[in-house]
Formats: sequence, structure tokens, C-alpha cells
Amino acid sequence: MSALAVVVAMALSALLIATTGGSPLDSLNAIIQGSVGSPAAWTTTLLNATPLLVVAAGACISSRSGIFNIGQEGQVLIGAMAATAVSLRLALVGPALLVLGMFAAAVAGGVWASLSAVMHRLRGVNIVVSTLLMTFVAQQLISYAVNTPWLLQATRIGSTAPPPESNQIPVGAQLGSIGHYPQLQLNLGLFLALVLTVVVAVAMARTRWGFELKMMGLNPLTAQHAGVRVSRLGAVALGLSGAFAGIAGAVLIASPVGNFRLQPGVSSNFGWDGLLVALVARNRPIVAVPFAVLFGILRSGGNFVAATGVPSFLVDVVKGLLVLAFVAPPALADMLQRRAATAKAARSASTRSADLEGVAA
Amino acid sequence: MDPAGGAASALQLLGITKSYGSVVACDAVDLAINKGEIHGLLGENGAGKSTLMKILLGLVHRDAGSIVYGGKPVEINTPQVAAALGLGMVHQHFSLIEPLRVWENVILGDVGRIDRLAACRQVEEVGLRYGLPINPMARVEQLSAGERQRVELIKCLRRDPAVLILDEPTSVLTQAESAELFSVLRRVVQEENRAVILISHKLAEITAATDRVTVLSKGRVVFQSATGDTTATELARQMVGREVSLRAEAAALGVLPVEQYRVELASAEQVESASPDRPAALRLRELEVDVGGVAVVKRLSLDVRAGEIVGLYGVEGNGQSTLGDVLSGLVQPTSGSIELGGVPVELNRPGALQRAGLGIVPEDRHRCGVVLDMSVAENLSLKALGDIGGRHLLSRRKMHAVARRLVAEFNIVAPSLDAPVRSVSGGNQQRLVVARELSANPTVLVAAQPTRGLDVAAIEDMYLRLREAASSGVAVLLISTELEEVMELCSRVAVISSGRITGVLSIVEATAERLGMLVGGMAA
Amino acid sequence: MSVAGDVSTILASGVRLTGPLAFAACGEYIAERAGTMNISVEAMMLGGAFASVATASATGSATIGLVVGAAVGFAVAVLHGTLAHRAEINTFVVGLVLNSLVLGLTSYLIAVSRFDSHQVSLVSIPLLRDIPMVGRALFVERWPVYLLLVLVPLTWWLVERSRWGLELRAVGENPRAADVTGIRVNVRRRQALMWCGLLGGFGGAYLAVGEVGSFNQNMTAGRGYIVIAAVIFGAWRLGRTMLGCVLFGLADAMRLALPALGVTLNGQFLIAVPYVLALLAMLVFATQYREPKALGQPFERGSS
Repeated sequence: MSALAVVVAMALSALLIATTGGSPLDSLNAIIQGSVGSPAAWTTTLLNATPLLVVAAGACISSRSGIFNIGQEGQVLIGAMAATAVSLRLALVGPALLVLGMFAAAVAGGVWASLSAVMHRLRGVNIVVSTLLMTFVAQQLISYAVNTPWLLQATRIGSTAPPPESNQIPVGAQLGSIGHYPQLQLNLGLFLALVLTVVVAVAMARTRWGFELKMMGLNPLTAQHAGVRVSRLGAVALGLSGAFAGIAGAVLIASPVGNFRLQPGVSSNFGWDGLLVALVARNRPIVAVPFAVLFGILRSGGNFVAATGVPSFLVDVVKGLLVLAFVAPPALADMLQRRAATAKAARSASTRSADLEGVAA
Repeated sequence: MDPAGGAASALQLLGITKSYGSVVACDAVDLAINKGEIHGLLGENGAGKSTLMKILLGLVHRDAGSIVYGGKPVEINTPQVAAALGLGMVHQHFSLIEPLRVWENVILGDVGRIDRLAACRQVEEVGLRYGLPINPMARVEQLSAGERQRVELIKCLRRDPAVLILDEPTSVLTQAESAELFSVLRRVVQEENRAVILISHKLAEITAATDRVTVLSKGRVVFQSATGDTTATELARQMVGREVSLRAEAAALGVLPVEQYRVELASAEQVESASPDRPAALRLRELEVDVGGVAVVKRLSLDVRAGEIVGLYGVEGNGQSTLGDVLSGLVQPTSGSIELGGVPVELNRPGALQRAGLGIVPEDRHRCGVVLDMSVAENLSLKALGDIGGRHLLSRRKMHAVARRLVAEFNIVAPSLDAPVRSVSGGNQQRLVVARELSANPTVLVAAQPTRGLDVAAIEDMYLRLREAASSGVAVLLISTELEEVMELCSRVAVISSGRITGVLSIVEATAERLGMLVGGMAA
Repeated sequence: MSVAGDVSTILASGVRLTGPLAFAACGEYIAERAGTMNISVEAMMLGGAFASVATASATGSATIGLVVGAAVGFAVAVLHGTLAHRAEINTFVVGLVLNSLVLGLTSYLIAVSRFDSHQVSLVSIPLLRDIPMVGRALFVERWPVYLLLVLVPLTWWLVERSRWGLELRAVGENPRAADVTGIRVNVRRRQALMWCGLLGGFGGAYLAVGEVGSFNQNMTAGRGYIVIAAVIFGAWRLGRTMLGCVLFGLADAMRLALPALGVTLNGQFLIAVPYVLALLAMLVFATQYREPKALGQPFERGSS
């Protein structure tokens, strides 16, 4: 059924292109060529997939515990800002700067997300709502930082006003490529993302902590009964998902995707999309890998679609339809099943004139 | 059939029968409710009271029998028909929406335009007429339990019902509030010639407030009388008599397995009485629990010694569920303590009771006993993760080994160890919970309504496990609303009523009369 | 420019920026009172804005554009209701996906289309418009703004005084009790969501064919989230929600006017105002703020 839904999603996208005067085949070709058609294209795809995967791995943690964090976009920005600040302000040698930047980003993103946990604890503020609102606060915070000379705004060169962005971070704080292949670059960030994903997957499947996390997500009362400190575990899960988003921000800044500098739009929906990746992967980190690559393909291919006369926003439409295609069919199938069951129950109740459930039971 | 039936009868039920599968909830019930009387309906859980009322309200359809209302046979197929006929019910659990105002709650469920002034006026009028003063503009959340009860009553009375049904109306009320309620009901029947059906298990209430009383047991009418012609003791005997006499019969025939066991136990008790210093395995001390500001468990103290099965018996809704939540570590008592082996447990630490050696089969296993979407193997080890791995890592192999052993030992039937518990039958889910709790070698086992909803084989199995546990030296506390179960398994019975223990009887002292009095909230 | 002139300019621009928020906030208010935390109000506004411009261009009538804009918001609501209330997909997930989809779709369509500019007409009220400082700001406006004078009381009446609204509130506060009373919980919730779609779509349409006269990519730019912030800031009371819209509209107007006024205050703080105020409102007024108790919780019959 999901396969069928994907076909429908693709067909709808093709229809959209055709009715607006483009050629669906050309567009598809452009996306494929631009994303996986050459080693260089693969490079871009994987660079884009990397932050998505890190965000998604973190989102898996919080969603698994039944806590829904939707503020990754803001947490990515906060992480990016922390990494930039460390990279620009501290006078350290390369690798140390890189590691410290990542660490600072994780802490900053984690703290930012934990603020929501604190607000929930103190005043019962809904976590979904607060993580959402905090995203927009983060956006303005970043914007302020890169517009303020004594914070992170680029240094003035000559008499022209500097643009609203930070200086480029030193080469030592950038994520380099591993190995030398013709045209293909495998960024260090990708390996970091894969390692983090595997760590999360193993932690969830093989450790006591992962077991408790899953138990809490599926039945918090049983978890509490079994001795799990539910509120603490939930706060940890939320903080970790924020930390992962923060790391994604640092990866973004330290790789070519983010131009090695902090800009207001640097997160460029990586947070939202990473959350969607986790969603279609149903909170399974390993399954998130192919989906992150798929989303990466759409991002890198999108730039090439424009050459065929079709706006690059096409890939956003395709992305939305694909997510719907993955999420909706199982739920709709459940719904039909429930209806059939209710109808059956109603039939048997009326024929036997019995109501086993009892309305007010 | 009924001598009091006739011209004055508002409602007559004739031969009402209703069964759910093989369980007969109502067995040819005859009941006549007269105008101008308060008719008490007494019975334990499962006696058929609520099924009967659901049939009257059109929520459940009867299998056989007829309903005569106002002299004519009627068919009550839907709640709307019941309401149109003038049958109104005040439910045990309030169906009010707290942030809304009184008048808004009262007209909720009507149709047509809202007229606030008219609704407020009506609330005040009905309130004045029956002595139920309430401010129609008040928000329900600011009202006390008694005031909320008034709102429920007004909501019902303003539809001018000919028959008013109240289901355990005093369960959340104070004594004064209860007295006020009964004076209102008296006015309803005396001045307006309506009929009231009062469902209750409180003997004092029944004897003080009703004109006639019917006792139901196992779906049958076992006793009917004018209230003035009977006594609380008689009613108590009638309410629980059947089970107790059945036990006596079985004992006389020598088919009661518990007999032999009791002899063993008697000797065990002798051993114990020889060492009086030995503390009880489980000691509940002056437990007080509030739920939403209402005291649900009140100064509850109880000892359970190693090797004995103690029953905590009572009608549902008297604080047992909350006590179960406390023993599951889900709710913290406001005061009092729980001691295991003489050592008080720090209840604010998660899992402390379990570490101290308390196993529990919770009342609602889906709520807090199992995780339906986790596998059989995972559910079997979820309280003993230390056993299937180190401090951090878990071993799937060890988990499966433990699960395989327990599945075999406790005859759990499951498609596979990795199948979600959701796919396993209720009886096997319960076996799983018991297996998990007993595999931790507890010193105390609490079983809350452990056989509810199970088939006969699973019930037998459960009884066997509980007996085995006790004979191996575990202190077993059986929280149950099934008297038969308590009588069959326990050596002592503590009776809970309105959150208090009203008495503790050894099984030989537990006559129908005394149990009935205690259940009804009276001293015995 | 004189101080009075500055004030008048900011006020006029504030009113213009408040308009779209106020329409959508009336809708969001209704949806949330029924228990749906509807974040796809952003998609409703954006879809409405695009559709209104496209329709206005095709028909030559900005008014028809407004109507079609509301209809598109309604369609988004139907989709949301089907996925969230019938198929029981998490309402936030549905919202995120719809927001992302509508943003992509409108961005795509505006890039391949060219629309004529149409704008609804100005209404200028004699005498009142001559009141110093506030006259021009309040009484020379695009006509749909005046609809708010009817819509806000109507919304209040619907929720607080009609039977439909009573049932709506019951559903938002205690769906189980409402169900026992015979109210069809998810039907009421879907109806509330549809109102939200109509008004959200209208708000977006008003932004496009009312104030601006054209559509640009991501035109609403998160105004849907500001609407949500307004409802939270308003503590789920209509009056305070509207106050929030005005406040947030004025903050936006201030930001736009800052450069002209020669003030070197960073605009970022003013953009963050709605969100910070909403968060503070939840933190500070926690004791008296009355979130519908079942907000964001799905209702399924028979589950406990």
C-alpha cells in the first residue's frame, strides 16, 4: 500500500509539472543527474543528507520516549551559533577547535531544548508548543548575533557595512574530506552522522536505557511501575534530541553546505526536514539513513531542476507528497479496519440484540 | 408475583434475563417499583444491578422478559426512549464538565437554542423546589463533591422523571451531604409521587432511607421486603449468603481444596505465634491517600504474614484501586507507611517497593501491568533488567533464555517470544504478569482482582499459583470484589468500605452476616 | 516628519498588519477551544493568500479572490481533519507536513505563474477619518478590515453563547464526558477546524489581495505561528487573543518603521516579541491561564 502511495505521490508531482508546462521526465532526469549522476553530485547529496541524519537520529530519541520535540530547526541554529562562536573566538589548533565546537554545539542545543523541559516541569507548559515557539526565538537570536558587531557579525573591511553573517570559521575548525577519490568527497561529517546513528540505534536496541526509553514511550505507567524515573528520563531524551540537533548545526557550519559561516538562514529547514526523516522512518535510526539520503537527493537534485525550466521548489512538493505517502496509508488502513470492526460489532449487536461493550461500561 | 405491585406501581420488570456469553447477568428478575417509594437495590459486584439499570435506560438490550411502565408494556431500545418515558439516572461517576458553568452543564445534551436566563431560572427553580441550592453561574470546578451531586440531580430532575435512578450516589459525599441528599429524595417521592431506585451497598443507607428493598445476588432476586420489616443483619446475610453457604456446603462434602491447606496453615500460624517478635511480611500502617483532593483511602492498616493469603474484600469503588496504585508505586500516600519485613519502604523512590521484595499483579494489566506493543520476552523481563544484562547493556540471548524458562514454567501460550503481548489472549497476558512477578522471588505478592475477565482454566491456574506462592512462604494479599474467590483462597479476610478497613475476620469467623455488615460499612 | 505623523504612520501600518492575524486568530481560537492544536493554520493562510491572488487575477475581482482564498483554507482544514481526526495521525505531524507541502506547492506555482495585481477597495469613513493621529489609521482601510467588527463578536457569540459553542467547549475540556452526554466529539472538532480553515484562508487572502495586491514566495512567513502565539498569549480568551494580534501587529509595524525613524534598535527583538510574550504568558500566568484541558489530545471512543 505504501508503494502504491509513493507511485501516486510521484504521479501527482508529474501531473503538476506537466500542467505547468514542464516535462516530468526531464525533471526526473535532472534530479537524478544532479543528485546521484556523478561523483560530484553524490558529494552534494551526502553533504545534504548528513545534517538531516543527525537531526533525525536525535528526533528518534525523544519521539521514542513519547515526547514530541518539534523545535529542531531552532536547536540547529543554536548549535550552529555555539560552534561558530567557539571556532571564531578561541585560539586553538585545528582538531581541538573542531571537537570543542561540536561539543559546545551539543551543549547549547541540548540546553535550548531542555528549557522546554524546565518550563514543562515548572508550569506544565506543553512541550510541543514551547519547542515550536522557541524555534522562532532562536531565529531572531541568530539574526541578532550576526547583525551585531560585538557578537558574531563579520568584521568590517574598508568602509562598507559588513553583511549580516559571521566571518568564515578557520580551516582547522572545518570538517575535511576523508580519502581521495576522483571528484567524490566523503566529508568527515557523514561519518560522524553515521557513527551517531549507529550509537543511537545500539543504545535503543541493546541497552537498559533504550529499553526503558521504549517502555516509557509505549506505556509510561508501566514504566513508572517498573521503577523508571519517567520525568527524568523524558527530560534527558528531550535534551539529547536537542543536543543532536545542535551537533547538526555545528556540522552544517563546518561543512560546505553551510558555507563555513553563520547566516540567519543557515539552518535552511534542515531541522524541520530532519524531523520528517525520523517521522517517515518511524523513529528507527537505521531506517532513517536511506530516508536522509532520499531527502538529500531531493535537496541536491533540486538545484538542477531549475535548468529544465521547472522551479526548484518542485522538490519541496515532492518531499511533502512523499512524506504523506509514507505516513498516511498505514493510518488510513487502520481507520478502515476500525470502521469495519465497528460496523461488524454493530451488526452482531443488532442481530443478537446484545451490546457486549455496554455504552456506559 | 410481587404483592406490592398493582395500581400504584410505576414500573414493573417481569422475568428480565440477560446473559453475556455463558455468564448470566440477570436471571428472570422480577421487580416492581411503586410510585411514591424509595426502592433500595442491594447487591455485590456482579449481582446484576448495573445490567438491570442499563436495560432500563436502553443502553443494553434484554434477552427475555418484559417491562411494564405506567400499566403498559414498553420497549426501551435507546437512551432517548428511556428519557422520553421519564426514566432518569444519576451516574456514580460525575459526567460534568468542570470548567463550564452549572447552567451550561445542566442543558448540555439538549437541542435547540440556548436561553441562558431561562436555564438559570430553571436551575434555581428546581433547586428551590427540592432544597438543592446552587448558583447557576458558578463553575463546576469550584464546587464541592456534594454541590456537584446537586448539579447532577438538578440535571436529572428538571426533565421531570417519573423514575429516578441513583447509582451509589454517596460514594464521594460526606455524611452531612448524604443526609441532605436523602432528605431531598424523600421529598421527591412524598410530595411528587415519583419513584426512586437507590442502588447501594451501604446497609445503613438502605435501612435508613428506603421504603422497600430488593437484594440481588448472581443475577437473581434473593430477597424482597418492606424495609421496616427487616434488619441490617438480615440484609447482610442475604447479600452475601449464597457464597458463604455454598462454601459451607462444599466443605461439608469435602470437596473444598482449601480445607487441607487451612490445616497446614493453622500449624504455620502456631509456629508464628511462637515467635511473636517476627514482623509481618507486609505491613500497611495508617495509609491515607488523596486523589484530586478527596480522601480515598483513610487510615488503612493491615498486616500480612509470610505464608498466608489475606483477602481484602469489598464492593468496587471503595478505595481498592487507589491502594493498588500505591502498591504499584504509581501514587504516593499523603501519610502513613508501608513496611516490608519490618523495614519501611521509601515510597518516593521509583521501584522501591519492588526492590524491597513486593510483587504485584495489578488490577488493570493493560494500564500498568504490561506494555502491549512490546514482545512477550521484553514484558517478562521489564522489571528485572539487571538479570538479563549488566549495568548498561542488555543481552537478547539472556532475555530469551529467561523468557523461554518462564513461558514453559507458567504455561504461557504465545505465538513466539517476540510476538507483541497485544497478540496474546487475556489469560496468557495475566499468566505473563504472574510469571514475571513470581520470578523475582518476592516476599510479598499482591494480586488485585487477578481473575477479572479470565476464563475458567485461567482462573484455576491463577488460584493454583497463589496457593503455591503462599505455601512457599510468600505473604499474599488478594484484593478482590469476588467473595467466592476470597472465601476459597484466604485464611483471613479484611473488609474495606469507603476507604477504611471495617474489620478483619479469620475465615472461620467470616459468616455471611458479619461480612455483609462490614461490606455495608457497619461494625460487626 | 512630526511625532503625530510618525504615530499615525505606525498605527496605520499596525492596523494593516493586524488584519490578517485577527481573522486567522478567530479561527485558531475556535479550533483550540475544541481541543485541536492546529499548527497548519500557517498552511491555511499561505494557501488562502496564493489562491486569492490567482483567482483575482483570473476573474479580475479581488472579492472573488477572498472567497476562493477562504475556500482553499477550508480545503486544507478538511485534509487536516481527515488525517488527524479520522485516521488519527498525530495532529502536529499532520500540521508540519501540510505546512511544508503548501509552502512547496505555492512556491512552485508562483514561480511558474504570472498574476495581475488586484486589490480590494479602500473605504474611507467621513468625519471619523479626520480625527487627528488615529483617524487615517483606523478609518481609511480596505473594506474587509471592517468585517472584523462583525466577525469578532460573532465568534464570541458562537463559542460562548450558542449551543454549538457550548458543545465545542465541552469537547475541548472533557471529551469523554461530552461523549457520554451524546455529543459527537470528533465531528465537533472537525467542524471547528473547518471554521479555522475558512478564517485562516480568509486571513491569508486578505493579506494578499487586501494589503499587498500580489503574492510572493512564503508570503505569510510564519504569520500562522504568530496567530498561535496570539491565542496562547490571550490565554484562550477571545478578547485577549485580539489584543495579542494588535500588539503583535504593532510590534511588526514598529520594526518596519524603525529605519525611517532613525532609531537603531535591532528589529530582531520586535520580531521575537510574539513568541517571547506567548512563552512568558504561559510561564507567568500559569495559575490562571486556562488551556482547554484536552488540547492536543486525540479522542477515541472506548479508550481510557
